[in-house]
Parts: sequence; C-alpha cells; structure tokens
Amino acid sequence: MEPPIYYSRSEFIETDTGNKVSRRATIAGPQNIILGGKTIISSGAIIRGDLRRSGPGHAVVISLGRYCLVGEGCVMRPPYKTYRGAFNYYPMKVGDHVHIGAGSVVEAATIGNHVEIGKNCVIGKFTIIKDCVKVADNTIIPPNTVIPALSLFAGSPGRFVEDLPESTQDMVEVHTKQHYSRFQPLDREH
Amino acid sequence: MGPNVLYHCPCLSTSSVPPPPHQISSSYSFHPLHELFFCEECDAVRCNRCVSVEVSGYYCPNCLFEVPSASVRAEKNRCARNCFMCPNCRNTLSVVPSDPPDAGDGRLLAPISTVGEPPFFLYCNHCRWDSSEVGITFEKPTGLAAQLQKLEDSAPDSLEFDRLKEHFEPIIRASSLSSSSTVPSTSHSRHHSNPITAAASAALARDIPGVGKYTPLTRSGRSSGKDRSANKDEMPEYKSRLDITKASAYGSGGGDVDVDFMRRLETVSEVASLDQRWTYSWSTSLETRDLKPLRIPLHSKHSKRCPACAHILIKPEQKAQSVRYKIKLVAANYLPAITVALPHQIEMLGHISAEATKRGTKSTAEDDRDTRGGLQAGKTYPFHMALTNPLYDPIQVRLSVQRMHVAPSGEGEKARRPPFAISIPTTPFSVAPFAEAWEYEDDEDMFALDDDELEARLSGREKEPKAKSKTVGVLEKRANVTVVGGEVALGKEARGEIKFNMLVAYTYRSDDPTPSEGHDISPSKKAVPETKTFAFYTVVDLGAIIPKDEDSRLEAYNV
Repeated sequence: MEPPIYYSRSEFIETDTGNKVSRRATIAGPQNIILGGKTIISSGAIIRGDLRRSGPGHAVVISLGRYCLVGEGCVMRPPYKTYRGAFNYYPMKVGDHVHIGAGSVVEAATIGNHVEIGKNCVIGKFTIIKDCVKVADNTIIPPNTVIPALSLFAGSPGRFVEDLPESTQDMVEVHTKQHYSRFQPLDREH
Repeated sequence: MGPNVLYHCPCLSTSSVPPPPHQISSSYSFHPLHELFFCEECDAVRCNRCVSVEVSGYYCPNCLFEVPSASVRAEKNRCARNCFMCPNCRNTLSVVPSDPPDAGDGRLLAPISTVGEPPFFLYCNHCRWDSSEVGITFEKPTGLAAQLQKLEDSAPDSLEFDRLKEHFEPIIRASSLSSSSTVPSTSHSRHHSNPITAAASAALARDIPGVGKYTPLTRSGRSSGKDRSANKDEMPEYKSRLDITKASAYGSGGGDVDVDFMRRLETVSEVASLDQRWTYSWSTSLETRDLKPLRIPLHSKHSKRCPACAHILIKPEQKAQSVRYKIKLVAANYLPAITVALPHQIEMLGHISAEATKRGTKSTAEDDRDTRGGLQAGKTYPFHMALTNPLYDPIQVRLSVQRMHVAPSGEGEKARRPPFAISIPTTPFSVAPFAEAWEYEDDEDMFALDDDELEARLSGREKEPKAKSKTVGVLEKRANVTVVGGEVALGKEARGEIKFNMLVAYTYRSDDPTPSEGHDISPSKKAVPETKTFAFYTVVDLGAIIPKDEDSRLEAYNV
C-alpha cells in the first residue's frame, strides 16, 4: 500500500547481496567497511572506513548489518580517544534493521538491532545503543552515553522519555523490510 | 501523518459501543494495534491503561547492572556503583583523572598508571560541569557511590529520613500484626477481588497503616476498622531533627541567605532552575554551584497481567537487555491488521518521488502530501483498506460503519449528520491464512490457492483494465492480505477530519481445519459450531478535509 521510493538506476550501485550504494555517497576506505546485505547508503552520506586503528593487518572499521539505511547526508565516523598517551580509532558496529535519518552524525561504538535514529541527530563518541531503541529527530546524545533496550531518547542532551511497546522489534523489522522493497529504480521511459 | 486505523479497547466504556470519533473520549479508547494485548482466557483486547503491571526486575540504565530486588530498597532505588547524573543537564557523568604532572618543558608526560592520576572527578561531556566545582573528588576511579556514601549519609535530608523511618517502624510493625489478620478476611468480601489485588492490598496495608482501611464494603462499623483507627490515634508525635525555621542556616535555602545571594547575583545561570532542584527531597540552596551529582534512578522490566482474569499477557526474559519475551500475547497476533490508504495520495507520492529522481533533487514528499494529495470538499474519493490475517486459519471478515452524528462543535449548533458519507463492502469476504515467511519468498503466483480464491484472482485480473470504475468491494487478494475498496463522498461544506468508527467482525475456525475442507469460504459454514466470531471496533482516520475556500489559495500556491 505504501508508495514506492524511486531512485535513478544510474545513481546507485547494487551489490550481489542487495546492498544499494549511491555513487554520490563518499565511501572512504571501502576495504574496511562491511555491509550485511540489503542495506541502503543514500546520496551525500559519508562513511569513514579510512579512519582505522593504527598497526599492521586488516581492520574492520565500520560494519553494518542487514536492512540498514544510512540517510542522506549522514556522517558515520568511528570513535576515537587517546589511551595511555596513544591516539587511536576504535571500530563501530551496527546491527540489523537499523535506520539512520538524514543529516545525522554517528560516532557510536555499538548500535544494536532494530534501532531507529531520527533526522539531524548527533550520536556522540563511544555511545552504546542496545536493541530496539528509538532516538527522536534532532536529539543530541553526548559521548559515552548508554541507551538501554526498548527506550525512546529525545532532547539535548538526549534523555530517556519512555519505554517502547513490547512489539517494537516486529514493527521495526516490518518497516525496514518494507522500506527496502519500496526503494525501486526508476526506469527512464517514465 | 497519513491515514491510519486505531483499535478499540473496551476498558473505559460502559457500553459495548465506543464513543463517536469526534468526542474527546474517543482518543483515550483507541490505540494503535501494536500497543494492544489480547487475553486468550477472556477473549478480549487489553491495553496499557487496563493491564496490571508488576516489576519483574531492576537494572541501572547506564551500567546495565541487574540489581537484585533485595538490595533495591537499601540502595534507595538508585545505582550504587559508578553511575551519576549531571545535576545541571541530567547527562550521565564520566570519571576523569586529573592532568598528569607537568614535566616542566611544556610537554605532558605519558601517563604511567592505566587509570590516570588521582584525584579523580566526575565530568559532564555535555555541559562541562565537573564535580571539583562542588568539592567532590575521588581517590580511586571505582566504587564511587561507596566513596560518596559517607557524604550522603551525613546530609541533613538523609538523616531526617532515617529518623522518620525509625519513628514509624514500631507503628508499622504493630499495625502489620493487626492488619495481616484482618485483611485477608475483608478482601474476600470485595466484589472485584482476585489474587493479585488481594495480595497488593495486603502488601499496602502492611506497609502503610491507613490504606488497609479502604475496603468499600466494610467501611461502616467494622471492629477491624476501629482497631486501626485506634492505632492511628496512638501515633506519637514526631519531632524533627532540625528546626525548620532555622533550616536556611544549613544551606537549604530560604530566608536571608537567599536574599543575600540575590543581591550578589550577576548572571541568571547562577540560579539553579526548578527542574534542577526538583528531584531533591529536601529544600535546597538556590545556587547552581551547590548542586550535587545525582545517583541514577534504576529502571525496571515489567510483566503485565489481564485485569479480569490475572493471566499473564507479557512476561519478559530475565536478562535486562534482552528484548525477547517468555510470554507475549499481543493483539497483533490475533486481530487482523488493517492499514488504510488513499490511492490518489499514493499515486501522487509516487509521482513526486519519481519527479524528484528525474530532477536529481531529493524528494520532499512529506511536505507535498498535504497540498497535492489532500481531500477537497465536495469531491468523492476512493480508499483502500488492506486486512492482513495473522492466524494460521482463514478468516471471514465483515465490516460495518457505525452510524454517528457529529456532536455540536460550537454553542447553538445542533447535532448533525457527519459532512461525509462512507460506503464500504458489507458482504463478508475471506482473508487467507498466514503462512511462514519463507513460503512468500517464492513467486507469489506459485502460492497454493483455494479454487474460490483462484477464481476471484483470475476474475480480478480480467477486470483489471476497468478496475478504475470498481471502487467498492474486494479489490485484491494476495498471500494473507485482502484489499477492499471503499468510497468517501464529501459534502460541499465539509470541513474537519474524516474519521469514522468501523466494526470489524471476523469468523475463524477454533480447531485445526481438516484437509478435505477446501471450500471453507461459503457463508453457510458460519453456522458450524467449531467456528468462532470475534468483533472489535476501530476508528479509521482518512485525514483532514481541505475546505473549499482554501482551494483557491492552494492552487495559487501550486502555480
């Protein structure tokens, strides 16, 4: 029943696992980024896979699960700190069914499954977001915040507002899958 | 917000018919489907307003430590580990070490210890408040609450609270002896008693002596009631530790101290806002610089019970951060899900998205929805309702619109007919059973259909070219979804929102169907005793009408 969301076929690259990545997104250090499949990276998004941990060997910087959406103009940047006098970046892990609204900046350490982050949010360094969380539009989450499962956070600084209903997991899953199927290429003859 | 459907929970209404949608009480009686529960025993919908809630576990929302319920009270419902809240902005505070000693050559020495240099203090990452401002520092970065315990215990408010507890303890003990013998007998006579309310009232009566008296049927002239009121009279007078008239001298605000402070005041931010002082149990100083870090209040997980039969509807898993449930009886697993849409709006949104893609700019569909996809007075619009069957058996659904009159909105206005007319299919139709998701992954055409359904589908397809003319009736059947069409005709002078109550009755087989019965869609089968009917009300909101006089303005805007 929901209307399709069209994109132009020339703008997006579709991978074998169904990821759709805009050519207008800035993907730095793609060898350090993992996309779980059926994940959409919208135009104007910036994903900094190049900010890797110093030291030899292969390092995963940012991993996203299945059915994720990185909105338009989002910035995904791994968190960093100086520990024992040494500056370092730390990996960011994002679960399945995570939608990040347009214009948000994310520097979280972990984001669980079935998480919805609104538009124009700032998710501070080393934030830990558990499963089934909703962050309202325009929320500022300060660094090192922990957001417990099934809670709604809003405001600046982001605070707990209320518990989410028991069926949140199912709702978000339906929503993210539906969004992926609505996201269709627009053929030229239209 | 597009068109939506809300479901009725009968807990607030005295009659079986819900209030008409234009009454204020309507919004309290209707809820989104995903927020509702379903009690199998009572065969009824339950909502968050009517279920009884029990705490099934406590945890700290910051360190996620699961606090055993035995120690919750001793720790005053707050985290007793390292978690503190900024008194200024309510962000969580982090422990930071002091700067390492300066080597003298302007460079910082690499820290030697892994945790950093003492003293440690609490720092807010958001507003930059730090606890050294109020003279709170720590020797080591762990067990902060324990280190602060001494300070907290010597605060006048906690001393006063301890004194109060000491004062009331003998009285509580005395009354619990008397009430534990009387309450069980009285609770039997109450007319809506069940084990839960009985247990709760017994617990209340034990904890607070006055409350046990509230048993409506026994209020007049029972000896037990007299006993307890006698107890109450015996209560000795309480003498507070501090004389309240001199409280301001202890830095707790009020009187000359505040006047003095106000005189010296330079910026507004020196005064703590009401919000910042609200959570203190004691009257506190007005000054921002006196605010102390707050221990973080615990959160709890809840299990929910049916208010009528006390069966468990929601029982979470023990682990605090698990989002799974041992028992989860939600209405979405029992009632058909209904979504409503206006096809002209959908088409419009699709066009907008397509146009935006062609232009290369991004869609602003949300903003355009109200103007171009709006409902204008004096026109007739079709709408689609998709019913999704969550059951493993097919269901027969019958829809009917509840008759209503719009309540007088202004003074002097008489109750009148709603400014719109709804027509929906009134004959029952079927919705195919839910099958596991993997069955839908394949081509939908391969999905096994009953003969009737296949026929319906085929005929539907043949009619496709002229489908535009058919708006009322069953439009589409696929998987476990049936789409029915309706029509709304708006009056010339219509304004306000198009909302109507709709009764949904569905018949389902209470036992597993036998394989031989393929043609279970014929209406005559409804008489078979093994089928059951469940009916519930919904309110359908199609959106606001754009009044006539605004049309011209909108057209001008669109040009």
